[in-house]
Amino acid sequence: MTSLALKSLWARKVRAMTTAFAVVIGVAFIAGSYILSDTIFAAFDEIFSESLSGTSVVITAKNPVEQDNGEVPTISASLLQQVQKTPGVKLAAGAIFTPGGFFDSKGEKIGSKFAPKFISSTLPGKLEALKYIEGHRPRGPTEASIDKAAAEASHLELGEDIELIGQGSAKKFQLVGFTQLGSASFGGTSIAQVTLPVAQALTHKVGRFDQISVAAVDGVSPALLKRRIAAEMPSGVRVETGTESADRASEEIRDNLSFLQTFLLVFGFIAVFVGSFLIFNTFSITVAQRVTEFGMLRTLGASRRQILSTVLSEAVAIGLFGALVGIAGGFLIALLLNALLEAFGVDLPTTSLVMESRTIVVSLLVGVVVTFVSSLIPALRSTRVPPIAALNAFVPTPSRRRRLIYAGFSILLGVAGLAMAVAGLVGGGGAGTRAGLIGAGALVSVIAVSLFSPRLVPPLATVAGWPLERLRRLTGRLARENAQRNPSRTAVTAAALMIGLALVTFVTVFAAGLKSSVATVVDENFAGGLVIQNSDGFSPIPNGTATAARKVPGVESVATIRSAQAKVVGSGAGARVTAPTPNIGESLNIEWKQGGPEALRGLGDGQAILSDSFASSNGLEAGDSFRLLTQTSKRPSFEVTGVFDSKLNVLGSVLITQPVLARDFSQTQDTIDFVTTESGADAATVQAILTKGVEVAFPTAEVLNQEELKESREEQVNTLVNLFYALLALAIVISLFGIANTLALSIHERTRELGMLRAIGMSRRQVRTMIRYEAVITALIGAILGMILGVVFAALIAQPLKDEGFTLSYPIVSLVALLVLAGLAGVLAAILPARRASRLDVLESLQYE
Amino acid sequence: MSLNGQVVVATDVTRRYGVGDAAVNALAGISTAFERDRFTAIMGPSGSGKSTLMHILAGLDKPTSGTVELDGVEITALDDGELTKLRRDKLGFVFQFFNLLPVLTAEENLVLPLSIAGRKPDQAWVDQLVRTVNLEDRRTHRPSELSGGQQQRVAVARALVSKPAVVFADEPTGNLDSKSSAGVLDLLRQAVDEFGQTVIMVTHDPAAAAHADRLITLRDGELVHDASPGSADEVIELMKQID
Ligand SMILES: Nc1ncnc2c1ncn2[C@@H]1O[C@H](COP(=O)(O)OP(=O)(O)OP(=O)(O)O)[C@@H](O)[C@H]1O
Ligand SMILES: [Mg+2]
Repeated sequence: MTSLALKSLWARKVRAMTTAFAVVIGVAFIAGSYILSDTIFAAFDEIFSESLSGTSVVITAKNPVEQDNGEVPTISASLLQQVQKTPGVKLAAGAIFTPGGFFDSKGEKIGSKFAPKFISSTLPGKLEALKYIEGHRPRGPTEASIDKAAAEASHLELGEDIELIGQGSAKKFQLVGFTQLGSASFGGTSIAQVTLPVAQALTHKVGRFDQISVAAVDGVSPALLKRRIAAEMPSGVRVETGTESADRASEEIRDNLSFLQTFLLVFGFIAVFVGSFLIFNTFSITVAQRVTEFGMLRTLGASRRQILSTVLSEAVAIGLFGALVGIAGGFLIALLLNALLEAFGVDLPTTSLVMESRTIVVSLLVGVVVTFVSSLIPALRSTRVPPIAALNAFVPTPSRRRRLIYAGFSILLGVAGLAMAVAGLVGGGGAGTRAGLIGAGALVSVIAVSLFSPRLVPPLATVAGWPLERLRRLTGRLARENAQRNPSRTAVTAAALMIGLALVTFVTVFAAGLKSSVATVVDENFAGGLVIQNSDGFSPIPNGTATAARKVPGVESVATIRSAQAKVVGSGAGARVTAPTPNIGESLNIEWKQGGPEALRGLGDGQAILSDSFASSNGLEAGDSFRLLTQTSKRPSFEVTGVFDSKLNVLGSVLITQPVLARDFSQTQDTIDFVTTESGADAATVQAILTKGVEVAFPTAEVLNQEELKESREEQVNTLVNLFYALLALAIVISLFGIANTLALSIHERTRELGMLRAIGMSRRQVRTMIRYEAVITALIGAILGMILGVVFAALIAQPLKDEGFTLSYPIVSLVALLVLAGLAGVLAAILPARRASRLDVLESLQYE
Repeated sequence: MSLNGQVVVATDVTRRYGVGDAAVNALAGISTAFERDRFTAIMGPSGSGKSTLMHILAGLDKPTSGTVELDGVEITALDDGELTKLRRDKLGFVFQFFNLLPVLTAEENLVLPLSIAGRKPDQAWVDQLVRTVNLEDRRTHRPSELSGGQQQRVAVARALVSKPAVVFADEPTGNLDSKSSAGVLDLLRQAVDEFGQTVIMVTHDPAAAAHADRLITLRDGELVHDASPGSADEVIELMKQID
């Protein structure tokens, strides 16, 4: 029987191919996600181990709280002498490796927008990991080198000037060398090197190091040397061997980037889920078309089990084939995904593509299991074909009772899905559990709607077909009737598109809500004036920006905000600590829950003001005290003197004074500056002068007015939304294949009918129109259902976010555009089937059995 | 309009399938003409070329050589678009199997050729056809709710609705019992007598042929007999001789 399965599969090559294609795309995406993330991790491993290859021991400061901007605490330069005196040390040197900004001589940014840039110091002897492939190491105070990849991307030549900016204003350097590290590409990350004193001055770390690198004399093991040095070092300092340090760095990167892998895999599984609808439909239709064949086999004495195994063997063969091709396609998808992320500014290091055995196992499993499960119901249906079906066309339709059970079951399932989502939204538990519940709820609801949708197809097809029937009477009418002819077939086809559109709608509605909320917050809470921020939107701006701004004529005052990450001592909960200048109230309208503006003006050492969400989640109110663990391992205590509304995201969760932030958190850079203009001054003129002055000295800073600020925030949302759209496009493409496939199979079934229509005078063009409209109707049914689901879920998820100032807004124009696009997608899906149908030979079709 | 009221004229029509030794001469060179307002039956043993001839006369197939003129138009050289228009305006078809659209009602199927052409049906004419085919109380039924004979009567009415120059029928009673067959044949006869239609019908059934004005007989792709059919028994006798 298995050989029969393979033979009949071969006879239906084209159909098997389309089915396999659904498997291929989904599996390729999953494999590609694994390959890309494994490759990125491998690249980081390579970079870290390469950069520490000549280093036996590394000395750094402990970093108990990770910072958003990736800055790590420093160690005192005085430790170096002690290290150098330790027996077994051949060579030891301090080093700087700090985020900064690079610009070419025209003031253009070097490298991609979001990728990190590091200012590093040269190291002596074999401690230096960077290879100089052109030019030489920087020697004097005005010389710098840069990595070859960045140089090529920005067309830099040796001898040219570049500007480096650390924590002060930008400084000009002459390019004297190009570097390279191992074989991995850094992605968008780039490294500029200067001499140690220059690096310290640039990054405001005079007298301090980010790290001390040590090489051991021959015969002394890194582990031994590490123990000797550790004995000498004060607390708060971490001593590791080079390997340990590289491993820890790799581990940290894996933790930080594992979300990327999960994120990509989620889209892969969405694609597989959509593909399973296509597989289900193809098998259902094929089984229906083969009833005579099955009936014949049954009369010849084939048992039900043999029929079942014929169909299931076909499914497994297709799944296996699809998975294998998918794994190969994974390499291509990995490259495409990397290019996509790069286009969205996420430019990560890569090396030669990595295929882990886990990737192969998961891909094969997914391909085979999904195909098997999707074909199970059609396969079981095939066993219900009685031998008599060989003699007359028997169509195994579910009985009325069975259909009622389906409907009841799908309604129950839908309720269960919504309940799960609601439980996830309002219930307790960790963020992971809740997100899981919401996701599972969404999945269950989607399945419920798909199960119920055969009943929705007739009315929805009438609605969607109405304009087409007005437009083209007969072809529109026939298209609509054909879509309604087999409701479950149309329903499953539409359901595949429904999933993609539900997600797109969700993202669209949610993003619109996010943007309008951001705009509302800016309008309600910013008292006008100008804002200076880093042009990447999140990094700190160099010191001195505010001082420079205060000197600009027309500027009345400048309020600044600095921030750092900390942990609450005891619970370990994260806290975003923000230190504003006392005059911040002039630039921001703060809504007070406890205390008031005087609390902010009189804020002293040992006092803090909390956001209401932080206060409530940590059980704190005015008068209470708590401790924070800072990045520099200090544990200052604070007394709560006020509580403000957390809608104002820019203020973080804990407000303290800037001197305390500098002393206990060692953070002295502004994250954002607020400029108020004098009442007589023209805001536009002031902005123009500020822009010229500030942006020349501090090229990483940009000056925005309130409108531009809104736009810049909205743009961040847009970028993310576009990335989502790009990743969801795949699911939609698969569902379009589903529409094309179902159409092709239906046309095949209706060959005689088409021949008759052509014989009595229907033109090729009319046939094409008819098929095209059927696709449009199917697509619109999917779109309508998907958009309803998407809106419902966006509304549900927005509910608990109301407290945080999130208001839902329905982007009607975008939604209508989405509907139109879905219709056009239907036209696209119909191109090939319509062409095939219109080219059928009239005579052959009439005689077609 | 052609000479002598001839609506279809075939001249030296041959049709060869395949090439070389395996080639089959389905039609070996047929010349004949069909007059207006006449009911012609085509008979012959299986494989004698009846369907092939009808398909070529109707422009559904192209002859290997020879020409066909339909209502004054040389059709062997027409392209698909022109043929479509020709079928739409000048031809009616009745096939052996019930070629109705399952998604349309009986009346909608009946007026389908007009709908395809985007023309408004003449309601009086449609009513008359519905009455003639005896389906007044079945207008809104779907084909699945009609008997085989009723479906075939709808198909005949559909072939007549656009008042074509010729109605082609390929074994229209091949799938019907004798009573239903009689109904369909009466209808075709009526179309010729009352509505002035021209009908060309391929059949295996001597009783069906007896309804016609003229009987053409084919054997091995050649026209071997052309006369008035006479009674059913006479037709049976004739077929025996030919076989
Ligand atoms: N598509 C084709 N390819 C090859 N040969 C064909 C094809 N169609 C018909 N023939 C051959 O042409 C000859 C005439 O066929 P045709 O269908 O016209 O016969 P017929 O008289 O209609 O027979 P029947 O009474 O069985 O319907 C037959 O020998 C047949 O095998
Ligand atoms: Mg025939």
